[in-house]
Amino acid sequence: MSGIFPKLDSQNGLRRLWGGPNFRWNLFLLALLLAECVVFGAANAKFLSLNRVFIAAVGDLPIWFISIFVTFVMITGGIDIQSCAIVGFTSIVIGVGWQAFGMNIWTAAALGVVVATLCGALSGFFVAYCGVQAMVVTLGGSFLYGGLALLVSTLSGTAAYNGISGFPDGFKALAKTTLFGVVPLPIVIFLLLLLCAYLLLHRSKYGRKVFLVGVNPQAAEYSGVNARAVVMSTYVLSGLAAGITGVVMTSQLGIAKSDLGGNFTMMIITACVLGGTLSTGGKGSVIGTALAAVAITLLRFGMPLCFGINKQYLDIPIGVLLVVVVVGRAVAGNPAVAAWLGRLRPKKKSKAGA
Amino acid sequence: MNAVKKVLKAREMTALLFLAALFVVVGIINPAFLADSKNVANCFNDSVVYILIAVAMAFAIFIGEIDVSVGSNLGLVAAVVGTMLQDGKNWFLAFFIGILMGTVVGLINGWGVAVMKIPSLIFTLGTNGILRGLMYLQVGTKQVTDLPIGFKGASSYALFGLPLTVCFFCVLLAAAAIHGVLTRTKRGRYFIAVGDNAGGAELVGIPAIRTKVLAYVICGVLCAVAGILFASRAGQVTSQSGNGYEMKAVAACVLGGISLSGGVGSVVGAGIGAVIMASISALLVFMGFSSNFDSAITGVILITIVVVDALVQRRAAVRNRHARLAARTTARTGGKEAAEQ
Amino acid sequence: MEANQNAGSGVPLLSVRGIYKSFGLNAVLKGIDLDVMPGEVLALIGGNGAGKSTLMKIIMGIYSHDSGRLAMNGEAVALNRPSDALARGIYMVPQEPLLFPNMNVEENITIGFDRGKAELHKELADTMADIGWNLDLGRKASSLSIAEQQLVEILRGILRHARLLILDEPTSALTFDEVKSLFKVVRDLREKGIGIIYITHRLAEVFDIATHVAIMRDGAITIQGPVAGFTREDLVKGLLPPDAEGGVQARAAVESSVDYGADPVLELESFSGYGFSDVSLKVWPGEILGVAGVVGAGRTEMATTIFGMDKVLGGRVLLNGKDITGKRTRQVIAAGLNYVPEDRHLNGLFKICDVAANTTSASLFGGALGKVLLNRRAEYDITEKYVKNFRTKVTGHDQLTGSLSGGNQQKIVIGRSLATNPGIVILDEPTRGIDAAARGDVYNIIHQLREQGLSILLISSDMEELVELADRVVTMYQGRINAEFQKADINQDNLTSAAFGIVEQEAKGA
Repeated sequence: MSGIFPKLDSQNGLRRLWGGPNFRWNLFLLALLLAECVVFGAANAKFLSLNRVFIAAVGDLPIWFISIFVTFVMITGGIDIQSCAIVGFTSIVIGVGWQAFGMNIWTAAALGVVVATLCGALSGFFVAYCGVQAMVVTLGGSFLYGGLALLVSTLSGTAAYNGISGFPDGFKALAKTTLFGVVPLPIVIFLLLLLCAYLLLHRSKYGRKVFLVGVNPQAAEYSGVNARAVVMSTYVLSGLAAGITGVVMTSQLGIAKSDLGGNFTMMIITACVLGGTLSTGGKGSVIGTALAAVAITLLRFGMPLCFGINKQYLDIPIGVLLVVVVVGRAVAGNPAVAAWLGRLRPKKKSKAGA
Repeated sequence: MNAVKKVLKAREMTALLFLAALFVVVGIINPAFLADSKNVANCFNDSVVYILIAVAMAFAIFIGEIDVSVGSNLGLVAAVVGTMLQDGKNWFLAFFIGILMGTVVGLINGWGVAVMKIPSLIFTLGTNGILRGLMYLQVGTKQVTDLPIGFKGASSYALFGLPLTVCFFCVLLAAAAIHGVLTRTKRGRYFIAVGDNAGGAELVGIPAIRTKVLAYVICGVLCAVAGILFASRAGQVTSQSGNGYEMKAVAACVLGGISLSGGVGSVVGAGIGAVIMASISALLVFMGFSSNFDSAITGVILITIVVVDALVQRRAAVRNRHARLAARTTARTGGKEAAEQ
Repeated sequence: MEANQNAGSGVPLLSVRGIYKSFGLNAVLKGIDLDVMPGEVLALIGGNGAGKSTLMKIIMGIYSHDSGRLAMNGEAVALNRPSDALARGIYMVPQEPLLFPNMNVEENITIGFDRGKAELHKELADTMADIGWNLDLGRKASSLSIAEQQLVEILRGILRHARLLILDEPTSALTFDEVKSLFKVVRDLREKGIGIIYITHRLAEVFDIATHVAIMRDGAITIQGPVAGFTREDLVKGLLPPDAEGGVQARAAVESSVDYGADPVLELESFSGYGFSDVSLKVWPGEILGVAGVVGAGRTEMATTIFGMDKVLGGRVLLNGKDITGKRTRQVIAAGLNYVPEDRHLNGLFKICDVAANTTSASLFGGALGKVLLNRRAEYDITEKYVKNFRTKVTGHDQLTGSLSGGNQQKIVIGRSLATNPGIVILDEPTRGIDAAARGDVYNIIHQLREQGLSILLISSDMEELVELADRVVTMYQGRINAEFQKADINQDNLTSAAFGIVEQEAKGA
């Protein structure tokens, strides 16, 4: 990327605030968001209603919550495609714990989050300490945790496809409450998680280790960083995020189901990649991922609302977006093209000067 | 003698033994399973689509890449061919269009991965989304159900009164033929070579990029054929058809001894893995488990196999390294390490 | 034979004229002229970074050249891809053999041929019998030693009827016996009229095996001609930068000022591990202890085992009297020892990270960079200190290290190790692959560090480097220390003969 835009001053505080080298990409994403708002807003004024946007956002929670932590995993050079299964598993653990074992609903929710974290830890252990490819482990994980969710759900006595419902109002209020009467609590939780993830990844020593391990695990070991532990910890984090998502979604829908996580895997990965995360590891930012996740949600919300496009076709624009972004970046990263762009720039400048 | 040894040592042998053991165990728990040869035969008959899709995936994995768009590729071809047949179009025209579509998808994937050098998981994830969306466009909320009887029946013709279908034998023959080409011919071995060591392949004159594109094209064509078979066997195509097949195909390849890092394995292994994947549901029912166990058990088997494989390989690598280092040291005083060996 | 006829007519097998090549702003080849006749063994010598590998990659069609001409048998050729070069009968055995690890030996050799399998098998068996090699054709390539892998590569070349064989530092990973058998093969091939380019950095080999010699330095050829016309000293002169000699002499005269009465900083007591055995040595405060030896003598393995990277098989490591045997890397660093790895690309650099992140990467534990959150101020200070002190050329702390030159990269990796405030630092081949100017800078850094009282364990295959820098040198041969030299006895001849195990053999004989 550095070939395209002028270099910024190394002491520029704003840039550091934005997570370093991803600054320009984040600006691009912000522009994309604005463009979406303008285009959709112009097509249908309803798009600009905050309430509607928030409802759409809450519907896409798994993408928002999980993708910012899957970013950690991808920075270490791994991938995590099991989160959606863990969301369902968490939900079922909450439902069964509450209904079949008579737990307090909040205890059950805490248990769900712990189980989700353990699921992440197990997969992380296989990836980090056994050296199995992340793709296969989390693929197996998605079968395993999805299957366990089904098995656990049989303990409840209700048919799996109906789900477990009838939760106390206090629990359901978690998702229904709004701050200042406008902002739903899940959005606030998301912002808090985002803040935590930002501090963790871009401001803490732990985050620095995550990047170093992603760039060169061997060199990290020679720097005294325990690369394996760092890799495993990222899966624990993404498991934790999936657990929190499971709690919030169960509360929001008022139903515990094993397929609650739906099939958001592709969109989660798309959010990470669109957010500037390098799939080979070593580069990425949670701000970028969050912006990308929001952009995807707006797209999924705006297209049907403004252009009457059936929700099911939305895979096309998102797929196109992903392909265009990766192809565009590959083209821009090509030395020949970079040189061509480099030649282009001074010419423009001289024109402006004259 | 040598040939027999070679076969026994092959990686796919483990998968085959596993499959046989699975049948025997199920037979012991529930003798009814082995009593009727149809039960075993059905396991094979039901796996034709999986075998094709696993072999398709194997091509992507051989070259050290992956293709997660196989499921939606299959679905889209099934939908297009199904619609054409439903509308009474010529069969061969429909098949031709279907296979052409698969080829184009393969070309696009190959271009993105091999020429543009975009990580295959990311690129095929993108094409997967596009194909899936196109499929909704084709099928919509309706279903393609009104397929010609002849087409639906074509995949279930029995072979000379055997419980196995003609269709299964054709797939078996095709897989065997592909295996032959991959192992016996000069160019066939290029796929494995490129996955094994792309830099080294270039140095001995193997066109790595062209080989990778070709692998994706073959993958696309096989997906298209699988899509046509899918339509015939299922008798209907919905907007969900083919969903999740990519994951099952990867699982089948891994079960069949193919390494995801490329350069190891065979299409025979992929086929055996596919039979295991396709049979697990039915076998669980025979063992008296509910089908709820299906996915959990698949997950456990998959993780166990890859973890054990990774640990064995790593131990061998460490042992090799240590042996090599120890060989460099002169054992002057009859040191400890000499005694250890 | 055709090749012999060509020899008679005096047309060069390969003729290289005026080749230029730059990577970005970095000019790697500055006008290379080279001829190889049939039946000639041309030894191509040069330090790392002299441009040998680039030139060979151009001949192999892996890189394209910016300007210049290539001709084979007097006929101009365009070599745009490896298959072009292969078709013209050029074959390169790379330094790191590029085999297919999951294929067996025979598949590895015969892949990419048009001819029938049986025919190939027969020719392969005949060739091996002819040369007298014994290699199990059914073995998996991943189980072969580096030497065996090289044999496989050479067999590939022979089977392809290569007329020009390029051997890129073939002996760097071989044992003494393996080197002998390789030389025999090279002589056999030469007699068959095959032209050979033999890349090496060992001067002794030139007189053993080569008929002609060419020396490359900084992208240009400084000396070229039949071996008989040169002495060893001539070759050394060609390798050195024109002004280097005076400086080396002057520094070597500096007296050692180490206080050997003090307690040693680092002490190894019959330390054993994979690749080395029964090593005992002591390093005193402010001392530079050189460790000489050929590649594969177990020096790097010893260092990385001290550093907590591999299993200890026996003995003890004492750092300032404290036992750190078998401790983890992090604890070893905390105890006051750091290591600058031999392979800076693989184990040292974070290429897509900036200068600041690289310099502080080893300081992430302990309080130097803050407790939980990163202290940007501290990060800036540490980075600035080493960028300034080492005069590292960077555009800013945010420059990615992958875009720096080799010398500047090395300074950053050294800075990273020093940022943890060690009492002793192990430098493993600190000047490998960097240019002459950067080499001088690294030497200055090492002198500075010694003046500050830091102890240094300097692992190097470059005998000149040890002569210039070390207060004392031990040599390792086949995993053991076989000789020790005090300041007065350190000279290239002593070190080289000990590194090749000659000292020990004489001692045994006597």
